[in-house]
Amino acid sequence: MSQPVFLILSGDGINCERETAAALAAAGAKAEIVHINDLAARPDSLARFDGMAIPGGFSFGDELGSGQILALKIRHKLGKNFFDFIAARKPVIGICNGFQALVKLGLLPYPETQKRVMALAPNAQGGFIDRWVTLQPAQNSVCKWTEGMETFDLPIRHGEGRVVFSEDAIYHELRDNGQIALSYAEDVNGSHKRIAGLCDPSGLIFGLMPHPEAFAHQATHRTPQRAFMAAGAGLRIFKNIVYYLAENQKEKIYAGRQH
Amino acid sequence: MTALRIEIENTAPAGRNQGGRLEKWAAEARETLNVPLTAIAEVKVYKTTNGKAEDLAAVFADPVLQQAHFSHKEYRFLHGAPAFVVDVGFRAGVTDNPGHAAAEALALCGIEARVASGSLYFLFGELDAAGAEKVARELLANDLLQKAEIYPANDFYARDRFKNVKLPEVVRTADARVEKISLDIADGALEALSRQRCLALTVDELKHVRGAFKTGLTDVELEIIAQSWSEHCRHKIFGAEIDYNGEKIDSLYKTFVKRATQDVKRSRKLGWLVSVFSDNAGIVRFDDHIDLCIKVETHNSPSALDPYGGALTGILGVNRDILGAGLGARPVANTDVFCLAPPDMPARDEEQFMPRGVKAPKRVLEGVHKGVEDGGNKSGIPTVNGAFFFDRDYAGKPLVFVGTVGVLPHALPDGRKAAEKQANVGDRIFMIGGAIGADGIHGATFSSMEIDENAPATAVQIGDPLTQKRVTDFLLDARDLGLYSAITDNGAGGLSSSVGEMAQMTNGAEIDLALCPVKYPGLKPWELMVSESQERMTVAVPPKHAKAFLDRAERHGVSAADIGSFTDSGNLEVLYNKERVASLPLDFLHDSLPQMKLKATWDGGRPRANWSAQTRLQDRTRKAENLDAALLRLLQAPNITSKEKWVRAYDHEVQAATHVKPFADGGVIWLKPHGGAEENGVAIGCGLAPRLSLHDPYLMAQYAVDEAVRNIVAAGGDPDMCCLLDNFCWPDPVQSEKNPEGAYRLGQLVRACQGLYDVCTGYGMPLVSGKDSMKNDFKGKDKGGRDIAFGVLPTLLVTAMARVKMGSVPVNRFCAAGDLIYLLGGAGKGLGGSEYAHIYNVRDNAPAIDMEHNIALYRRIHQALPLFSSLHDVSEGGMLVALSESMIGGSKGAKLSVALDADASFNEAPGRFIVSVPAAKRETFGKIFTVQPIGTVTDDAELSFNGISLPLDKISAAWKKGF
Repeated sequence: MSQPVFLILSGDGINCERETAAALAAAGAKAEIVHINDLAARPDSLARFDGMAIPGGFSFGDELGSGQILALKIRHKLGKNFFDFIAARKPVIGICNGFQALVKLGLLPYPETQKRVMALAPNAQGGFIDRWVTLQPAQNSVCKWTEGMETFDLPIRHGEGRVVFSEDAIYHELRDNGQIALSYAEDVNGSHKRIAGLCDPSGLIFGLMPHPEAFAHQATHRTPQRAFMAAGAGLRIFKNIVYYLAENQKEKIYAGRQH
Repeated sequence: MTALRIEIENTAPAGRNQGGRLEKWAAEARETLNVPLTAIAEVKVYKTTNGKAEDLAAVFADPVLQQAHFSHKEYRFLHGAPAFVVDVGFRAGVTDNPGHAAAEALALCGIEARVASGSLYFLFGELDAAGAEKVARELLANDLLQKAEIYPANDFYARDRFKNVKLPEVVRTADARVEKISLDIADGALEALSRQRCLALTVDELKHVRGAFKTGLTDVELEIIAQSWSEHCRHKIFGAEIDYNGEKIDSLYKTFVKRATQDVKRSRKLGWLVSVFSDNAGIVRFDDHIDLCIKVETHNSPSALDPYGGALTGILGVNRDILGAGLGARPVANTDVFCLAPPDMPARDEEQFMPRGVKAPKRVLEGVHKGVEDGGNKSGIPTVNGAFFFDRDYAGKPLVFVGTVGVLPHALPDGRKAAEKQANVGDRIFMIGGAIGADGIHGATFSSMEIDENAPATAVQIGDPLTQKRVTDFLLDARDLGLYSAITDNGAGGLSSSVGEMAQMTNGAEIDLALCPVKYPGLKPWELMVSESQERMTVAVPPKHAKAFLDRAERHGVSAADIGSFTDSGNLEVLYNKERVASLPLDFLHDSLPQMKLKATWDGGRPRANWSAQTRLQDRTRKAENLDAALLRLLQAPNITSKEKWVRAYDHEVQAATHVKPFADGGVIWLKPHGGAEENGVAIGCGLAPRLSLHDPYLMAQYAVDEAVRNIVAAGGDPDMCCLLDNFCWPDPVQSEKNPEGAYRLGQLVRACQGLYDVCTGYGMPLVSGKDSMKNDFKGKDKGGRDIAFGVLPTLLVTAMARVKMGSVPVNRFCAAGDLIYLLGGAGKGLGGSEYAHIYNVRDNAPAIDMEHNIALYRRIHQALPLFSSLHDVSEGGMLVALSESMIGGSKGAKLSVALDADASFNEAPGRFIVSVPAAKRETFGKIFTVQPIGTVTDDAELSFNGISLPLDKISAAWKKGF
């Protein structure tokens, strides 16, 4: 099959684009870093990509709330082409600041209605924190990115990662839908039910606060490892989606032959 | 159209905890300021010149967390009713990052507006007006940058604050006229001129200018000269001819610093020094594909006035140094070292001794820490190494060291060597990044003077990490496209320094200041020339690339202005609207300044000066304690206790290349993600020992080097591929009537330089970059109204960077019970200079340093890395503290088989490590290191020695106490 091509958004204070591209490449995708202004100049070019990553960072300096101005820019400058991309059921991952932007865009948890029912509020302990956490995927999760994964470790690096819902019922609905993809093993930021990441009902749009791209190799493990080139837990997330796209393509080809 | 005021209220789902800073401040108000404040609540405020309420609400408020208010609103709080309300906003002209970002956000929605940001703080508790004022001034706003209006709560709600809304606006009526200045005046008048214009030039220097400009000169010319000749830019003291106890030294820099590198390079035939002491940063080659650049700067004076802004602009400034190294390097790691007054100072009875006009130590700590946090995190650069050092003598001036490591490819896509730059005649001069304002005028000259109560407000600035990140992305893009030929940062002295220095590449430059983007009108030509407004770089662009360069800048959202060209006229020519306002021969500007002649004396160590002695009442009464009690006391001393909670606020893993995190001895960056070889990493460590300056700065310098080297050795660094950086921060070493200690301080500096030379050549390690800051003094009044004058401890920070073989780095904590514990490097002797001696007021000699022995040990350790279960260097607190740290990290116990006394437990002799080794490797280990084990790692949660058993949880609790 042909290699899936991912767009990795950059510019305006996004700062994890290089390692996100490297992790996607290590997982077998073709990764292209594209500046948001270059994309805004030719938004129709989005159509040629198979997936998208909105990396971590401090877009617009986190002013007006993390991810807020990036979300406005995506809405106003990429507009229809971006929402067509979503409607075409292409996978999108928002990591940390990218997660915040997806939430501010209303794409999580419900891309169909874009109703704003959740937020990523300032951490309960009151500031930015960089630490490693243990993550537990939910048994019933529909998330394509975390499929088949068991407990694993990743670093978190954020000041606004506390999941808050407008009402408790939302949580129950998301849980029952299998949209809660990842939870922290212990409370790290006051997040509702220790939620670390969640997805849309299709499992293709995935937002998470921890940084999978920061642990693609054992070289960046929390303590120095001798086998530094061995895969880190974060790589699996990117491999999952590359695998999903390959399988999906096979199905499409198969479905095509049926006609 | 009138402006609108928007207030953003946090609604219930946002929860009560709105940022730990409010709780911290409330606690500080009670504990330090003695104000009975129970809580603080915050409401964000924006003012915009345009927009409709419904559109604005969607931009400014998150519908789940917040509600926007556009008209009269009385807030309800869980704390009850507030006593006072403080309305804080930026002063006109101060960088307002939230305001600028908000204006961008509105523009995206089709609303063109100016936006200002601010906060309402609600104060709860039984406080009075004086208490509210104290809280506002000390905690909520810095008067130099912000305006705070304080209202009793009822008065606040009685006004309609949503009517007649005004945004801060800089109104400058000055015209662009250039003043002609005659220097044909008496000495006293020259001195007054220098002081009034903040020139920091001596009468002799002004007379030298007079000789060259017989008919007078323009204010632009005089200001350019003052910036270029400032101690900050020119390092006159390090270049001076010194009479040292009768012996003549021609420049400390040439004699000790540069010569150390030359001698090491020659004797070791080093092939990996690419560029030293000539560019913005030192450049070394540890890899076949990429070079590493490293630079460490200080930002002491700005941090004294506004700790947050000072540290923020410091870290962003040193990032720009790296961005301006060679043809532009990518910053990949930051370091930060703070030398501050202890956070628990002043004790209640000491408040009256504190210097007036300087922030309280705790506020300085919080401010500089937050500055480095925002500067590094928002720029996407990991902070991988650093230190906090506390001593009372930093109460008048904090030292803030900020460093950056950058990566340069050997060659750019067009084949050019990335480490070399050359502007050509005819190249356009572009100023890129921010616009020019009055902020940051006289930074260079101000920092070349002592701090007093009348520091210029314009010397204080806030950085803008977003703009700088865009500049960085743009420049690396333009570099790889081959669009420019040379680059440098706009740091101290602004355009006068950057253009003045780059002009030497072609022997001339001409710029028109009227072409520079400005933040507001009314700036005079000399102000445009010397302003240090942040986030700017100066770039030489060949005319054929000018259009492409501008196009890429626009695509990245970066401002770029063509302000002139490089020439070969021999002059720096400055125009304003095509009219000549300065014409300065480059050789006069750069090479004519006569060498300074200074006197230095050294007659042995001296105890602390009076100021410090007065504030040490408590310490002098502390009696000796048992070893276990002393260990616990040491573990919670600010210089030793865990800094984890502070370090975790720094993103130390962005860029996904941090192999060893900053909780170990040295940080390690993996080079593969940056284009290097898979097996290559680089370790960064630092060392300093300022208290030894009281004994002998010669030893102080050697200890600093040794500690930095121990850091990198413990992090797996190769001592044979290790470079060093020197950063001197000294109290004024120029003898004068006002400064009777000057000659002695210069003597101390000579001793430190001698020590540095000897240890660099002894270890075979070159210095590749360095900086000095020579006016770290406070002169003014204390809070009791007495005249005081004191300087910082003479401080040398040494940074080490060494190559690491990936996969070989041991951990620094005990791993397995049964492992044998060794103390490598010997027992040491002498408590002088130690934390123990400081706490218990012990007078003793400091342990000597055996360089030959140490470097041999470091090489052996490096060869034997696979043997170690753990490797941890012995530094502050001594052997028993290092051992405790390895226990805490691994949650293991230790049983020692040797008897210890206070000296053996706590002396801080250099050259030592606490290591653990599997028992099975004892024989192999013994052949390489001829030492006996001092104990065993155990699973019992205790440290046992001398028949004492100290539980691990007690040790751990003491160390984790923090500050």
